[in-house]
Amino acid sequence: MSEVILKNVGKVYEGKNRAVQSVNLEINDKEFVLLVGPSGCGKSTTLRMVAGLEEITEGEIYIDGKLVNDIPPKDRDIAMVFQNYALYPHMTVFENMAFGLKLRKFPMEKINERVNEAAKILSIEHLLERKPKQLSGGQRQRVAVGRAIVRKPKVFLFDEPLSNLDAKLRVQMRTELARLHHQLETTVVYVTHDQTEAMTLGNRIVVMKDGIVQQVDSPLNLYNNPVNQFVAGFIGSPAMNFIEGKIVNDDGIKFTSEMNVLQIPLDEKVFSKYVNSKITLGIRPEHFSDEDNALNKIRITLDVVEQMGNEVFAHFAIDGKPIISRLKPKDTFRIGAEVEISLDKNHFYFFESETGSRIV
Amino acid sequence: MAKVKKYLVLALVIFVAVITFLPFLWMVSASFMPTGASNTYPPKLFPEKFDFSHYQVLFSRLNLTRYLLNSIIISLGATFFSLFLNSMGGYAFAKFRFSKKESLFKFLLSSMIIPGQVTMLPVFLLLKNMGLINTYWAIIVPGMASIFGIFLIRQYAFSIPDSMIEAAKMDGATELQIYLKVILPLCKPILVTLGLFTFMGTWNDFLWPLIVMTDSNMYTLPVALANLSSEHVQDTEMLMAGSVITIVPVLIVFLALQKYYIKGIMMGSVKE
Repeated sequence: MSEVILKNVGKVYEGKNRAVQSVNLEINDKEFVLLVGPSGCGKSTTLRMVAGLEEITEGEIYIDGKLVNDIPPKDRDIAMVFQNYALYPHMTVFENMAFGLKLRKFPMEKINERVNEAAKILSIEHLLERKPKQLSGGQRQRVAVGRAIVRKPKVFLFDEPLSNLDAKLRVQMRTELARLHHQLETTVVYVTHDQTEAMTLGNRIVVMKDGIVQQVDSPLNLYNNPVNQFVAGFIGSPAMNFIEGKIVNDDGIKFTSEMNVLQIPLDEKVFSKYVNSKITLGIRPEHFSDEDNALNKIRITLDVVEQMGNEVFAHFAIDGKPIISRLKPKDTFRIGAEVEISLDKNHFYFFESETGSRIV
Repeated sequence: MAKVKKYLVLALVIFVAVITFLPFLWMVSASFMPTGASNTYPPKLFPEKFDFSHYQVLFSRLNLTRYLLNSIIISLGATFFSLFLNSMGGYAFAKFRFSKKESLFKFLLSSMIIPGQVTMLPVFLLLKNMGLINTYWAIIVPGMASIFGIFLIRQYAFSIPDSMIEAAKMDGATELQIYLKVILPLCKPILVTLGLFTFMGTWNDFLWPLIVMTDSNMYTLPVALANLSSEHVQDTEMLMAGSVITIVPVLIVFLALQKYYIKGIMMGSVKE
């Protein structure tokens, strides 16, 4: 059992700069949890507090039921993989991987066994005698992962491990990390700003902003049921479109966009208390359609058309605001073309413009 | 045209090298000439017959073995302690978080403008009170830590990523293990550079050993050589033999470590 529990954890730097604010999180045994958010949102700081590299100024962190606030990193039985690999350049790959075991006074046979086992899992057996500078980026990242897995720790921490790799390698390593987690069955806490990594890797995602946890949920739930406008905009690529407007009572409760291009009748029970309030409508790119039988059609002019082969990203404007839609490819989609397009009203998200919190 | 230019430059370089090398050559060759032979006219560049008698006299009658040993012990001692303490200080200033770090460092740096001669008297009195005059420590202790050394190591240690130190912490290393097993190996080029500076500086230093070593048994080579020159004004060949003995060890150390030394100076000058 190796769950990680954060209770009201906060971090205040000197000069009252608050990086993390009362984070409450229970990470279960063998769970793969991702911390995501834009840079400066406190995700790395949170991870570093779990690692013991950053002092915990408020709250408590438990690893495997033990309070670790005052326990140094080396005694927490965790391993971390860093963004820039942080390999020891003066040591060979073998020595890099064996370093932690040697410090923990493992017998040489055991060290050999563990390092070879890890090297086999990561397919780096042929690199053991090389120095880090003789390795490519992907190989270095493997060694860094190897250094973490030889110790068989209770918890793995990853701090944006793939962001230094090129796009192709990143996809490859992402799959391998997923496989590795399945194979090793260890608790993983993983920090990234890449929402594709977040969606594909984890059991649960923790979305953070300005040091505050916005939502903790499974990838699909986050995608389908974001609690606020920030989460809605952060998860999903291309991002959700937002159209500003207000609720009016004009022959029934309606949402009208700022320049009245969109008029959407709404449920009175839910929206009657928002009359004259500023509301933001959110709609994901895939919830636009140009099918003939679609309802609520509006006429738009395409600004940019990105043909992806299996789909097309069509950019246009509603109310002067840029909108991106994901449509089925057609030859008629060209820049400047006029298209009739409909919005799927079953997939509308409404947020209070002022607070960003979700209404429905 | 380019070829002519290349040869001209080459010729100039050779010329300067010969000019620089000649005094050394003459020093070595004169040390092997019989007494008085280096002052004859026309001057000779090479001895007619190799005469080792000056070396014999230096090592037997003039006690040069003792001075050589003094110099070696003092220089190695000063180098060892200087590397140990400066590397710790520089590493701490580069990578540790403690209050008033920057202002303390600036204060230390500002003390570099005080000329060494000004501190000689107070340091001498300090050492005298500690009872260290006429001991090896009188030269080793004042050179143990220097602002220059700390500065040099600090600048270099900045280039070591924090995450490497953090990785070592996660691997289970104590602060001392991080320093010994990660920082020191990574700082090798700059340590060699600082070691060379310290070794050569201590070896060649004349004034300070002259002040703190009043017992002739504790003289270092440069002081002994100065004494020799006043006692044997006429004996140029003997003086040259003494000079050879003084210079050769430094030369050997420098040549042996040259490649690291250059690496140390160049390090950090360009982004790799």
